[in-house]
Amino acid sequence: MLVVTLLVAFAVRLSGDPVVALFQGASAPNKTDLERIRKALGVDRPFLVQYTEFATGLLTGNLGHSFRNGQPVSELIREKIPGTLVLAASSLFISIALSVPLAISSAVRKGSWVDRLVRLFSLIGLSFPNFWLALMLILIFGVGLRWLPPSGFEDWRSVIMPATTLGLILTATNVRLLRAALLEVLSTQYITVARSKGLPQRVVLYKHALRNAAIPAVTFIGLQFGGLIGGVVIVEQVFAWPGLGSLALNAISQRDYPVLQGTVAVLALVVVAVNLLIDFSYGLIDPRINVS
Amino acid sequence: MKAGIKLFSVLALTLGLGVALSQSPGPTGKLVIAQTQDPHSWDPIDTFLLSWGMVGSNIFDGLVDRGPDLKIKPGLAERWVFLKNNSVIRFTLRKGVKFQNGEDFDASAVKFTFDRLLGDEGAKGPQQANYTAIKDVKVVSKYIVEFNMSRPDPVIITKLAGYGAKIIPPKYYKEVGDEKFNNLPVGTGPFRPTEYVKDDHLTLEAFTGYWGGSPKVKTITYRFIPEASTRVAELQAGRADIVQGVPVSLASVVKGIGDAELVPVGTTTVTELRFNTSMKPMDDVRVRRAMIYAVDRDTIIKTILQGYGKPIASFQGEISWGFDPKLKPLPYDPAKAKALLAEAKVPSGTEVEIDFTDTDVQFREVAQGIAGYLQAVGLKVNLKTFEQNTYFSDIIPKNKTGHMYNFGWGGWTLDFDNTAYLLYHKDEYWNPVFSDPKVEALLEKERGTYNQKARQKSMQELARYLQEIAIEMPLYQGVNLWGMNKRVSGWVVPPDDRNRLVNVSVK
Repeated sequence: MLVVTLLVAFAVRLSGDPVVALFQGASAPNKTDLERIRKALGVDRPFLVQYTEFATGLLTGNLGHSFRNGQPVSELIREKIPGTLVLAASSLFISIALSVPLAISSAVRKGSWVDRLVRLFSLIGLSFPNFWLALMLILIFGVGLRWLPPSGFEDWRSVIMPATTLGLILTATNVRLLRAALLEVLSTQYITVARSKGLPQRVVLYKHALRNAAIPAVTFIGLQFGGLIGGVVIVEQVFAWPGLGSLALNAISQRDYPVLQGTVAVLALVVVAVNLLIDFSYGLIDPRINVS
Repeated sequence: MKAGIKLFSVLALTLGLGVALSQSPGPTGKLVIAQTQDPHSWDPIDTFLLSWGMVGSNIFDGLVDRGPDLKIKPGLAERWVFLKNNSVIRFTLRKGVKFQNGEDFDASAVKFTFDRLLGDEGAKGPQQANYTAIKDVKVVSKYIVEFNMSRPDPVIITKLAGYGAKIIPPKYYKEVGDEKFNNLPVGTGPFRPTEYVKDDHLTLEAFTGYWGGSPKVKTITYRFIPEASTRVAELQAGRADIVQGVPVSLASVVKGIGDAELVPVGTTTVTELRFNTSMKPMDDVRVRRAMIYAVDRDTIIKTILQGYGKPIASFQGEISWGFDPKLKPLPYDPAKAKALLAEAKVPSGTEVEIDFTDTDVQFREVAQGIAGYLQAVGLKVNLKTFEQNTYFSDIIPKNKTGHMYNFGWGGWTLDFDNTAYLLYHKDEYWNPVFSDPKVEALLEKERGTYNQKARQKSMQELARYLQEIAIEMPLYQGVNLWGMNKRVSGWVVPPDDRNRLVNVSVK
C-alpha cells in the first residue's frame, strides 16, 4: 500500500498545479498570488517532506485536508464510501446471480443452441463500452419508460441501472470463466465415477462439480474487484453517483493531492481486504485447504 | 423632508400589502436544477468556479450587485462616494437587512468579511488576489464603512459585485467554524442552504425575510450531474426544471422535448487561437495575419457551432468595457493569405501545430475545421492535445505550446482591462513571451485613471493595435445553451451563470 500511494503521490505531482486549478473559472493568477497560496497549502515544500507527512498521517488515520474546501480527507471518504460499496456489492451480486445459472446451463449442454447463445451474449457484453450501455439504459428505463430515476442516489431504485451496467459487463467475463472451469471439472474422472454410481444429475452438478469449479471463479472475482473500482469511475460519472470514483477523478483534475492520496490508500486497502477474505473463503469451499 | 419620507414609507407599505394580498401566502413549490459541477465549498472566498456563482448568487449579497442585465447597481450598500483623491471609498449601508439566521447586517459584518478575505483565511484561496488594492476597511458608524485603498483600482466597484466580496455573518461564522460554513453557509440572500450531500445535491429553502422581497418558490434543489447526456435525460424525464450546459450536439434533442424549451444566452466568454510569437514563422506579423485571413470563422460558427456563437474582432465580447463596435474582424480572404505567406517566404508544406485540451470535444471539431482551412493555403497542420490542468499550469505559462493554442476567457469584470493586462502585459502568468512597448504604454495609461471614458478610449486603441499586429486569431463569443421545463416562469437567463431565482415560480 505504501508503494501504491508513493507512486500515485509522485505521479500526480509530475505535471499540473493545484493552485492553478483553484483559479480555474474567470480569472488569472499573478506570480505572487501563486506563491502565497502554494505556501498556505504546503505544496512549496520538497516532495519527500510532503509524502512523509502523508505517510505518518496515514498510520494515525489523519489523511490531511482537501485543498479545495479544507475538509478533512477522512471525512470526505467516509461520506463517499457507502455509495461505492453499495454499487460494487450490488453489481457483483447481479453478476453472480446471472453468471452461475448461465454458465451451468451452457456447460451442461456444451455445443447446444443455449451454449451458443450464452457465448454470443457474453462476447457482445465484453465488447460493450460501459458508458454506452449506461446511456442506453438511461434512455430506455429513465426517459422512455420512466420506470427508474435517470441519475442520482435517492433510493433502492436508483441502484438498479448503475449496478446493472457494471453487473452485465462483469457477467460477460464471469460466464466464460465459470463455464470453462465447469467443463474442466465435468471431464474429470471423479465426475464420471459419480455418474456411473447412478447419482442424479442435480447432485453431480451442484455437490461435486460446482464446488470444485468455484475456486478459480472466486479467485477471479477477487481480482476483478480492482478492475471493478475502475469501472465504477465511469459509471459514477454517467449516473451522477456520489462515490469514491468521482472523488478520485475530480481530485486528479484539481490536483487535490491529499484527497487523491487518501482515496487511493483506502481503495488499495479495500482491494487487499477483499482478496484476503477470498483467501479465507477457500477453506470454506474446499476443506482440504487449511488457512492456518 | 421628514413628511416626505413618511409619506413614502406609507406608500411603500400599502404597495407592499397590495402585492402580498394579491399573491398566494408565501413561497410554494419545488424547483430542480441540474448543473455541471459541485464546487465542494460554498464559502465565497474559496473558488472562482461559475458553478459557485450559479448557487451563491441566491445565498449571498455583495455591497454592490450585478444583475442579469450585467449593470452595476446598489446591493447591501445604498450608495458610495469616492473621497480624498480616490484613496477612500465610503459606503452607506442598507438598514434593516437580516442574515438568514436572524443576525443583523451592519458595518461590522462588512469589516469582518474583508478582514477575513484579506487576511490568513483569504490567503489560502484564490479570491484574495482580486482585492489587494484595498488596504483595509474602517467602520465609521453602524451603517457607514470606508475602504482605504493602497493603490488605484478603476474596476474595484465591479469587483465588489464578485464572489469574494459577498458579505458573510460574523457571529454565525465564528459560531460554526470554517468547515461547517463551507457546507451550509448563511448570507443575506433570498435562499438558505439546508442540506448538502457532496457531488449529489444541495437544497435551499426560501428566506421570507429577504430584504429584496420574499422569493416565490419554496425549495430549490441543485443536482450535480457531470455528464451532459444525463442532464438532458433528467430534463426529458421531467425531473429537472432547469438544466445548465446543454452541448450544441444535444440542442436538437432538447428542442424536441414537448414540455421543455432550449434557451440560448450570449455569454461574456470568448475563444481564440493565440499565436506563439517566439516561434518561427509566427514571429512574422505577415504570417500571423495570413493565418487569420485563411480561416473562414463565420462558417465555423454557422456549421460546427450551429450558429450558437458570435464573430469577434478582438478578444472581448460586446458587453465588455473597451469593446469597439467600429472594429470589424479581418475578413476571410484565402488569396490574400497565400500572397502574405509567399511574401514572408513561408514554403508550402510548412508544419504548424494547434494545441488544445483533450476534454474539449467541441473545440476539437473547431480545430479540425481550422486545420482544413490552413491546409488549403498550403500549410501542414498538426493537432495536439493536453490534459487540462497540465495545459494551464505547465504548457501555456512555461511557453511550451506549439505555433498556436486554444485559449478561452471569461472576463468576469466585463472590462477589457482584466483581459488585456493579464494577457498582453509582459511577464504575466498567461503571457510568457509577448511584449510590445506601445501595448505597455496603453495599459499603463488605462490603469492610472478613474476617468472611465478615457480608459475606454485607451482600451479601444489597444484592441485596434492588437488586431493590426495580429497577436491572436479571435474566433467567437460563446453562447450558452440551457434547457428549461415550461412549468418554470419568471426566469431571466444570466449571461454570467449567476442564476438568480428570487422571482422564479413553478406551476
